Formats: sequence, C-alpha cells, structure tokens
Amino acid sequence: MTSTTQLKNVSNGVLTRRQFVVSSAMASGGLALGFHFPAAAQSNELSTLGGSEINAWVVVRPDDSCVIRIARAEMGQGTHTGLAQLVAEELECDWSKVSLQTFTPGQNLARKRVWRNMSTGGSRGIRESQEYVRQGGAAARIMLLQAASAEWKVPVGELKVEKGIVSHAASGKTTSYGKLAAQAALLPAPDPKSFSLKNPKDWKLLGKSPNRLDTAPKVNGTIKYGIDTALPGMQYAAIKACPVFGGKLVSFDATKISKRRGIKAVVRVDDESVAVVADSFWRAKSALEVLPIKWDFGANAKESSASIAKRLKEGLTSTENVFADIDIGNVGEAIQGATKKIEAVYGTPFVSHACMEPMNCTARVTADRAEVWVSTQNAEAALAAVAAVTGLHIEKCEAYNPPLGGGFGRRGGTQDYVRQAALIAKQFLGTPIKLIWTREEDMSHDFFRPIGQCRLVAGLNNQGDLVGLHLRVSGQSINAFVAPHNIVDGKDRRQLQGYWKDAGEAQLGYTVPNLRVEYAMRNTHVPVGPWRGVNTNQNAIYLECFMDEVARAAGKDPLAFRRSLITNHPKHLGVLDAAADKSGWNSPLPAGRFRGIAQFMGYGSYTAAVAEVSIKGNDIRVHRLVLATNCGHAVNPVQIASQIEGSVAYGMDSLQAESSIKDGRIVEKNFDTYPIARMYQMPKIESVIAPTYDFWGGVGEPTICVVAPAILNAIAAARGGKPVRMLPLKNEGLRLV
Amino acid sequence: MNLRRRLLWALGLGWGWGATPALFAQHVSQEELLRPYVGINSAQKGRVKLEIARLADNGFNVPLKVSVQSPMTAQDHVRRLLLLSNRNPRPLMAGFEFGPGSDQVLISTRVRLGGSQTVYALAQTSDGIWWLDTAEVEVTESACLDQT
Repeated sequence: MTSTTQLKNVSNGVLTRRQFVVSSAMASGGLALGFHFPAAAQSNELSTLGGSEINAWVVVRPDDSCVIRIARAEMGQGTHTGLAQLVAEELECDWSKVSLQTFTPGQNLARKRVWRNMSTGGSRGIRESQEYVRQGGAAARIMLLQAASAEWKVPVGELKVEKGIVSHAASGKTTSYGKLAAQAALLPAPDPKSFSLKNPKDWKLLGKSPNRLDTAPKVNGTIKYGIDTALPGMQYAAIKACPVFGGKLVSFDATKISKRRGIKAVVRVDDESVAVVADSFWRAKSALEVLPIKWDFGANAKESSASIAKRLKEGLTSTENVFADIDIGNVGEAIQGATKKIEAVYGTPFVSHACMEPMNCTARVTADRAEVWVSTQNAEAALAAVAAVTGLHIEKCEAYNPPLGGGFGRRGGTQDYVRQAALIAKQFLGTPIKLIWTREEDMSHDFFRPIGQCRLVAGLNNQGDLVGLHLRVSGQSINAFVAPHNIVDGKDRRQLQGYWKDAGEAQLGYTVPNLRVEYAMRNTHVPVGPWRGVNTNQNAIYLECFMDEVARAAGKDPLAFRRSLITNHPKHLGVLDAAADKSGWNSPLPAGRFRGIAQFMGYGSYTAAVAEVSIKGNDIRVHRLVLATNCGHAVNPVQIASQIEGSVAYGMDSLQAESSIKDGRIVEKNFDTYPIARMYQMPKIESVIAPTYDFWGGVGEPTICVVAPAILNAIAAARGGKPVRMLPLKNEGLRLV
Repeated sequence: MNLRRRLLWALGLGWGWGATPALFAQHVSQEELLRPYVGINSAQKGRVKLEIARLADNGFNVPLKVSVQSPMTAQDHVRRLLLLSNRNPRPLMAGFEFGPGSDQVLISTRVRLGGSQTVYALAQTSDGIWWLDTAEVEVTESACLDQT
C-alpha cells in the first residue's frame, strides 16, 4: 500500500483556495515524548509530576517542560496528539517539551468532572472539546504572563511569548514558563468570557503535523494495552456466555475439571455465563472448553439469517411501524408519472468489530475498594459499571484506562466485560482477576453493526432527471438496544443517519423535488451497537450504489448526475469535486479498469471517494482509492490521512465480512471464516484533505462510509452495470484479491 | 424492614398531577418541572437527602436512596415523597405517601433515566412545605452515538 496526502482548500466561497502537500508539514515534526499514565492511583489526587498545575489542563515543570492532560481514550486514532496540539497552540509553549498525562475517571469525579466528558466515540474527541481545551491552554498562558507582569511590574500587554519564553521588549527582560509556573499557579483563573481564542489564521501548530506523541512506545514495544495488565497474585478467568443470545446458563459440572492443574474455581458469573478461574489463562481456557455446561437456549434458538431476512423484507413494504423522516412533494405521484422507474433492494449484514485486542478486563475487589484495569472508550462508564456491580460507593471504585488495541465502538457502547470481571473478582476478594475473552467469545458476543435492508424506488423524466425518490430502510435499531431514550415518539432518526434534512451532522446532499425517506424498525434478538461509522456505512451503500443505478438508467455519467442534484449543498459538492479531480475522473483508464464514485456526510464532515478496480473472473482487485474529506479545521493533517487509510481497511472489511446467524447464534467465530482486509488487498490510497476552516467536523469515522459504495460502484461498472446489492461480496461469488 | 411504602401509585396518576406529561426530549427547567407536580416553582433545600451515583454506565435501572428527616408524629410528619426527572418523557418517576404511622422515611429503589440529567427528590411535610434535594447524574454516552 502506498499513500499520498494532499491538503487543499475547496473553493466553496468561504476562503480562498490554497493547496500544499502535507509532506512539507511533516518536516515540522516535534520530539516524541512520553506518557504519564496512572497505572494505579493511591488516591484521587492527580500528580503534578514535580511541576506546578496552572489549571486542570496544564502543568509546567521547572525545566520548562509542559504536561498536557488528556481526557479522551487513545485507540490509535491520534486524538491524544491532536488534543495536546489544541492546548499547546493557545498555551504558546515549546511543542518539543510537551508530554501527556492521562487521569482516571475517579480523579475526574473527585474534581467535579473538571475535565468533562471522557467518552471517546462519535468522532467527537476534538470537535466536542476543542473549545474548552483551547480555553484551558489560553487561560494557562494568561496566568503565566500575569505572573511575569507582576514580577517585572510591567503591563501584560507589553509582554510577548513564544515557545514558552516570555519577553519584555522595552526592558529586554526574558524568562521562561518554568520559572513563572509556581507563581502563576497561585493566580485566579481568568473567566473564559474575558478572553478570546486565536484566529485560525494565526495558528502555528494547528494544521501542522508534528509527530504523534505515542509512536515510540508502540514501535519499541513498551506500550501497555489493557491485556498487558499484570498484578501480583493475579489469577486468570476464561468465560463462556450462552451461545444463543438471550439464552440462560442452567448448570455446569465443575467436578469434571476441578482436578486439572492450576484450576481455582468454576463460577457462575451471571444468568447467562460461566467462568473458569485458574493460575494461567491457558489452563482456564482449556478447562472451560471441556466443562460440561447445560444451557437453556430459549426461543431465540429458532432464529436464523433467513428468519431475520424475512422480517426485514416485510419491513420494506409494510405500513406498520414505519415513519417518514422526510416527505417532500408527492413521491407516489412523481414516480407513477415518471418516464422510467428504477427499483432495487439492498442489504447489509451484521458485522463484528473484530478488535485486534479481544475484550478483557482485570479487576480487584476488596470489602471496601474495587478497581479495574481495562481498555475502554469510556472509562467513566467502566467506573460506573464497577460501582453498580460491587455495590460500593463510586468514590471507593476506580478504573484505569490503558490505550486500546482497537475500539471501533465495541469498547464504548457497553461495558459488559467490565461487569463480568467485577462479578468474578467479587467472588475472590483481594485477588486480582484478569478476564480475557477468546477470539471465539469476542466474535460470538459482540454488539454487532445492525443488519438492514433498503428498498429504493426512483422516477426519471424524459430528460433523465430524477423527479422522485422513495427510500425505505428496514432494519435493526441501535438505540432500541442501547439507548432507548434517544427514540422520540417511536421515531428512531439515528437509523437514517446521513439522510437527514438538517445541516451540520449527517445531512443528505441531494435535492430531489419529490422525496420520501422512511425507517421501519425491525429488531432481532442479536445485540447491536455502534460500529465505527455506524449507520452512515449502510446508508451510504444503499443510496450511493442506487444513485449509480439511476444514473445508468438515465444514461448519464455518475459524477455529472450527482453534481446536478447536489448544487444546493456546496460542501458536499466540494468534496465530490475534490475526489473526482484528484482521481482524473474524466481521463481515460487503462484497459480493464473501472471507476466508481460515492459521496456522503457523517459526524459533521463531508467525504467522497473514487475507486478504481479491475475484475478477472470472480476476483476483484481494488487498485486505487482517492478519498476527499472536509472536516472543517484540520488539526493534524497527517493523522487525518492515517484515519482515512484506516477507514479504507475498515470499509473493505465490511465488503467481505458477515456475522451470520444459525440456530440463534453466530456462525463466524474467528478470522478463518470472518475475513478482514489483508495487506495484499489494500489499494493505493490518495487522501485529499479539503478543509474549509469554518466548522469542526469529526475525522475517525466519516470517511469509512464512502469506501464500500465507491468500490461497489466500480465493480458494477466492471460487470457491465450489474450491481452487487446484497453484501457481503461472497453472496455474488466475488472476492477481493 | 426499614422501607415503608404506604402507596406507590402508577406513574403520572395519583392526584391528577402530570396525567398528560409533555414529551420532553430535552432538559426542562426546575420551574417547568416543579409547577405541575407541586404547584409551586421552587422548594426549600433541606431535610431531604437524595443519594445517587454521579455516574451511571446506562440509564436502564439506576439505584438511588432517599431519606427525609422527620419525627413522623401526628403534628410533624412527611406526607409525600416524589422523584422527578428533568429529562425523562414522563417526569414523575415515582411517588410515595406517608403518614404519622410510618416510623421513618427511607426509600431505596431503582429508576430509569433517559440520559444525563438532574434528579429531584421532593418531600411535602404535614405543614404543607415542600423540601427538595437534587443530584446531577451523568448517564455515560455510548460510543459513536450522538444525541439523536
């Protein structure tokens, strides 16, 4: 895989166009320094690491080094570096002397949640917290300057600061943040309303790509993920939950394994799971495999992929339990009166998160304290779960959150593995218990990306213009499973993410005179949850692949057809054009190569992609992907490009993989049957970062959703217009090579 | 048993209060919340103690405890205790009636919370005065889900 990244400004009338290649920005990289991670806090006091805490976000040490506190979880997305850049920009410190410090949710709670939300998901890390973390940096700078002003008895307005060195031109005095810190820490914090943040035009560090602050420990292997937790006297637990969702644990025969070496106990964890505790994970896992267990599978054992598909199909045309989120004009009449009618049904399966680090959690519970060490996207949720399970007051509980070996939504929505570890550890007071799920357990008991189908009907007039579009999603609701309070009046708008009328988050880019967008909630017994990109993934496949079918029926070029419908939404158009330009859409391709295009919006950002594929028999080779992203402000372009590249891998997973259901349980339990994108399948990736500098959009998720439809549209072009409508690709006998 | 419940009546029923509650998608102010249920816009802080964890990993069943200081005599006792939510579609989560026969007012229960919010515990004493305690609860957000 090779990749290039281009940072460009899309001309949408907001700012003037400018372009530069990111490699030049890379040259400005700073030193990669360490992390300060609380492996086990003895109290709720957060260490100042030998420095002075100017405010909650900033500690300055006598040697001028600055410690920046970070609330969000790092799972490879680079948010720690990006958030530190936001603080450092306003602080005006020396980036080469910056290090990071994370803290625990207990410490956040003890300080009345001064660091606010620790939840990491929804591509929110930067866009949700950018204002208050920049204010934290600015407030610290103001206090440091006030300290210099008091010492020198000169007005603050006469002081200048650059890279942590404060100077006063008239007197020629200079000093550094390290020398001012102790006095600055004593000053009252300025009211955020009393100062303003820098104009983006004046940014020095934001928009540049200093090296990530967490690269060294990853490369040299010193990084500790949750699964690397090791505590004195620790025992290991392997767990098995009823393979049929909703089934119950009836009984188990512990005598059959109790004489095996190293076995400590077999425990009932909750109504549906049993665990073996041993002195090594291997012994626990091996014993669990032969433990006789009696399950009550319940009525769900009758469910299968076929029975679920039948339910979804019913929802495509039913008048029951369906609502329209958009109803413009008269779709029925428009399509009835159209010259040409196009109709298609698309389908996307359940898919697993398949995190490289399987679910795990280490817990230690005593009579008056409970602690967990767990890689989680939401340490505060883990803390709350431990308190709930143990019944201890939340101040007597703590959660330590090492970096994650993959999250993708799995480690954020539900803290099921934390609850299990605490339930087991409760039965071994004082002994740390490390619960590890096997890969099979991980893939059998995921909170899957929900299954869905979509029926689309379009009408064209005799000029080939789209006069009516009727779109109906029928599928499982995430909110119904994890957050029912987000369903208002029975309407779960989240499932229509990317088709929304309202601007700002996940707006539909097309303007169609007669348009009806509906959702029919059809739930199943399978647990579902957010999967990186969530509903934008499926919704982009449905709409963007169908747009190609409609363009083909109209005899129009897919780009030109989209452009004609998207003119009311200049930012959607901007990224579409950016991807098309970079791909050379109008230039001829080598023989046997075909292009596909797609655009969509999610998480406040605009994305588009152009794929180039060739097909030989049933083998599809994706040669090239050009992806354009407008995330408003681009904090760290190289990290954004990395996220885009990761999005391609994740998007390609979802073309190939499926978690199917037989006898109420998951069939694909490991990578032998659950294919993920391999190195050899990866195309050349060209990222075009096209910020318009007038909003803050997300980065971690938005680009995934255009990967699959762009590739699928190229595949359809290569097959003479025959689309793939029911994923995964193997349903059509196709595979990625 | 230290938990005495004279009556736990169906949500939204009882004295005809809030029988047709609005569907609140967002937080409502204290004034908006209290008026339909206690007839006034505010209540006195004190006597009521609401214990609920600052964080909940989900809102499905959040444990809480409420106690009210009162001699529980014929002259001076707690008449009513209400649990209100400023974000749930139905703000009245639970209501309890007491009388001088109750030896103490101590409630331990679980409630469902539709997202992060302020929980209100209100007690009316026999002199007609409403007493109040509130608690902020953060129902931790699910990854990748926004507020829609």
